[in-house]
Amino acid sequence: MIEQYNLLEVEKLSLGFGGGNGLLRSQPAMILRDVSFTIGQGEIIGLVGESGSGKSTIGKAVLKLLKAQEGRIRFDGVDISDLSEHDMRPLRREMQIVFQDPYSSLDPRQTVRGILSDALDIHRLHTGTAREPRLVELLDMVGLRREFLDRYPHEFSGGQRQRIGIARAMSVEPRLIVADEPVSALDVSIQAQVINLIARLRDQTGVSVLFISHDLSVVRFISDRIIVLYLGKIMEVGPADLVHHAPLHPYSKALVSAEPRLDQKSSRIRLTGDIPSPLKPPSGCVFRTRCPFALPACAEGVPELREVAPGRSKACIRDDIDMETAA
Amino acid sequence: MTITSASANPSSAFRFPLPRIHPRLRLPLAIVAIVLVAPFAVPPLLGIDPNAMSVLERFAGPSLAHPLGLDEFGRDRLARVLIGAQASLRVAVISALISCTIGSLIGLFGAYFRGLAGFLSTKTADVVLCFPPILLALLVVTLMGPGTTTLIWVLSIIYFPAFARIVYLEASRVSQLDYVVAAKALGARPRRVMFRTMLPNISGPIIVQLSLTAAAAIVTESGLSYLGLGVVPPDPSWGQMIRGARAYMERDPLGIIIPCVAISLTIYSVNLLTDRLRDVLDPKGLSGGIPILSPRRPKVQAAPQSATLEADTVLRIDHLDVATNTNGTPIKLIEDVNLRVRRGRCTALVGESGSGKSLTASSVMGLLPRGVNVTAGDIMLRSHNGETIQVTTLSGEDLEAIRGRDAAMIFQEPMTALNPVYRVGDQLIEAAKIHRSVSSAQAREEGIEFLKRVGVNDPVRRFDSFPHMLSGGLRQRVMIAMALSMQPGLLLADEPTTALDVTVQAEIIDLLIALKNSAGAPGILFISHDLGVVAQLADEIAVMYAGRVVEQGPAATVLGNARHPYTRALLQSMPAAHEELHASRSDTLPSIGGTPPLPHERPAGCAFRDRCPHAVSVCAEVRPDLTSVDGPDHLAACHLTRGSAV
Repeated sequence: MIEQYNLLEVEKLSLGFGGGNGLLRSQPAMILRDVSFTIGQGEIIGLVGESGSGKSTIGKAVLKLLKAQEGRIRFDGVDISDLSEHDMRPLRREMQIVFQDPYSSLDPRQTVRGILSDALDIHRLHTGTAREPRLVELLDMVGLRREFLDRYPHEFSGGQRQRIGIARAMSVEPRLIVADEPVSALDVSIQAQVINLIARLRDQTGVSVLFISHDLSVVRFISDRIIVLYLGKIMEVGPADLVHHAPLHPYSKALVSAEPRLDQKSSRIRLTGDIPSPLKPPSGCVFRTRCPFALPACAEGVPELREVAPGRSKACIRDDIDMETAA
Repeated sequence: MTITSASANPSSAFRFPLPRIHPRLRLPLAIVAIVLVAPFAVPPLLGIDPNAMSVLERFAGPSLAHPLGLDEFGRDRLARVLIGAQASLRVAVISALISCTIGSLIGLFGAYFRGLAGFLSTKTADVVLCFPPILLALLVVTLMGPGTTTLIWVLSIIYFPAFARIVYLEASRVSQLDYVVAAKALGARPRRVMFRTMLPNISGPIIVQLSLTAAAAIVTESGLSYLGLGVVPPDPSWGQMIRGARAYMERDPLGIIIPCVAISLTIYSVNLLTDRLRDVLDPKGLSGGIPILSPRRPKVQAAPQSATLEADTVLRIDHLDVATNTNGTPIKLIEDVNLRVRRGRCTALVGESGSGKSLTASSVMGLLPRGVNVTAGDIMLRSHNGETIQVTTLSGEDLEAIRGRDAAMIFQEPMTALNPVYRVGDQLIEAAKIHRSVSSAQAREEGIEFLKRVGVNDPVRRFDSFPHMLSGGLRQRVMIAMALSMQPGLLLADEPTTALDVTVQAEIIDLLIALKNSAGAPGILFISHDLGVVAQLADEIAVMYAGRVVEQGPAATVLGNARHPYTRALLQSMPAAHEELHASRSDTLPSIGGTPPLPHERPAGCAFRDRCPHAVSVCAEVRPDLTSVDGPDHLAACHLTRGSAV
């Protein structure tokens, strides 16, 4: 990919929950540690990781729906890390979110018209007679019929509801969309429709997308670049096809090889044990407790995310693992 | 929130906007209107002074001039109960509305802003709740002197904490939901989020609380007036009437019955209105709510032939029909399903949500939801002693006996399937204790052995853990151990890996494969939407669509040489099947257009035809039967597989 304009720059983001103040102060559970990445204009970045890796937290932190303890977030060159909710308000139009659960993401008491109008009202867009054509245009954009405007969310299937959620996000013409597991709750035959829709919207509007998913094959198809996350740390970053076909980090390799496939490739990296608790992360490399290639040195220093090839980085001290024969 | 009909439909902009009253609200609204209007409208018509005494006629019975008779001072009871209602209703309605408004605002602000606002709102409510209501009333009356206004204040103070607590709890719950987060992400101001997004969604409990409060306020008003703290005599109120009549209760029961009936009727009518109002305000309340189902569970007559299972088979389903009954119309959910599970083998049932795959499994266990019944067909299960059980003819205790012992089940979400308050091990050996008589020590030993068998590290420690202490993968292993503990012939696995991470999912699949190859292995009926998972595990596959099996056969054949267009489309829509495609090159993933039809909207002919790229005219007319293609084992239900290939 050619050099492009960075719409979003995240630098050394750290975020934890709990802790509390005063007498009951305790160690906060760190969900994210030193996460840095960028999203280019019109780029789709795939964020993969298992439950507890902090991928949804990144999405909410980028939108400032969660407050990060440390780190900077720059949107379109403006540092938004310390903006108040009031000062964020005009920027909210530029960055939107699409949720995983198509059932809890739409207000059950509002019709589709109400849901989409709300979004436009907040930013005083397409008022008066311009409203109706805009609503129809939005539904059309996501492949729904205009008759649906006066129906309630419960009258739709999961896939249709997800389209309404996407229409709501697109209604304010954002430049960045955080899509948090947007297809995970959908049936296989519907998944592909929604993936194609998001890809088409990017092509048509140039919106950037942070596409969060646990499904590597979905992320590989839609993303330009992939970020692999484990226990709140970035393990690997690189072009989608390369991360998928030739992962550099042992964890990426384990994820790829665990994918259920039709052609039964039995070569799998077997991970031992469970993801450690974010309350008590392992010292050094957070993945070392489950890594089949861990060395004593892995317990000592936290491995830097370092560039190992143009556009490809990994956070692993070992360069001597042959991933092809590793399994 | 609501869009008026004028803005939705410009042509009707000039019509006088008559409020359209929901049919379910008409009756209660009428009753409440009568209750509210009568006390103010009727007394002038009667023209009787409620305080005019006629001592000579005291306790006179009902007559034409005095339909409800006269009280202990010879005052007209009808006039008094109506005028008394004015005071009682005014106090109840106004205080309920005041407490509702104040309490809801406090709760809403507290839940939205949390932190200090949340602390103050809950604590204010708590402090007021600590005061005994009567003490509080005495305090306010002392300060303000008795009277109607005082009563309103007293009752408002007594009842607002309940609103504050309920609204705080409900609003806290709603504020975590995605659509509230979405409103914040859109940049909505706090006021908008609170009043337009959150408030409508917590209106149900508020309305219920409002009706309870209004009712309680009427009763409390009566009580306080009875104590002499409320309405001042001789002005009538219901409390005053009860107070006056109490002394002569034995002589004149009517005196106490009349105000009591008035109170009960009013409370009932208010409750009826608010209940209906809550239903009507919820868009899902009436149409999408609880379906009206026939409560009776018709029994399938036992199939005449006493069929027996083939030696290697643990489950056979023959021509199974499952239907529900909505408003008298039977709707078939599953039609003519035939399946077979062999010992030590895995049959996979693949389909999307609503295809009927989970219902098929539930019918095997006799666990169909209320109002859903097996209407035809046979389900034969191998019992633990080798006999053939016809599940469809069993009921009640007989069904309970086969669950766990002859057929065991594992679920998608192991957290909800395990009881959180019992130790994992106790739940694991519970079944063994029920079905066999073994000592606790022996059961514990067996339980630990089972945990070891399903690959649980440190089984002794895990045995004594509680479910929340285990990860999702471990919990699923425990579930599998529980299912296997009775050595059932059949293991039903309903999406057992769907809620798990991919690396954990791979481990569970490995475990199931190992289980299949072990000695004395059960047959597995594996239900999944994921063809990738199924490919690893299944020996035979049945693909379901809209309640019917559309393709069936050996796994390798169905996956490698799919003949039904739906199976092919499913295989094609997996992103993993298209590693050469990428969105950045403007590729699109092959997808199936449309959505599966709902059970009551299934079209005639082939249910898939509307979404099928190959559909021809015959597909709309004749429903294709499941017939063999290629070989005797490979079946497909498609007109196009006969003669010309798809």
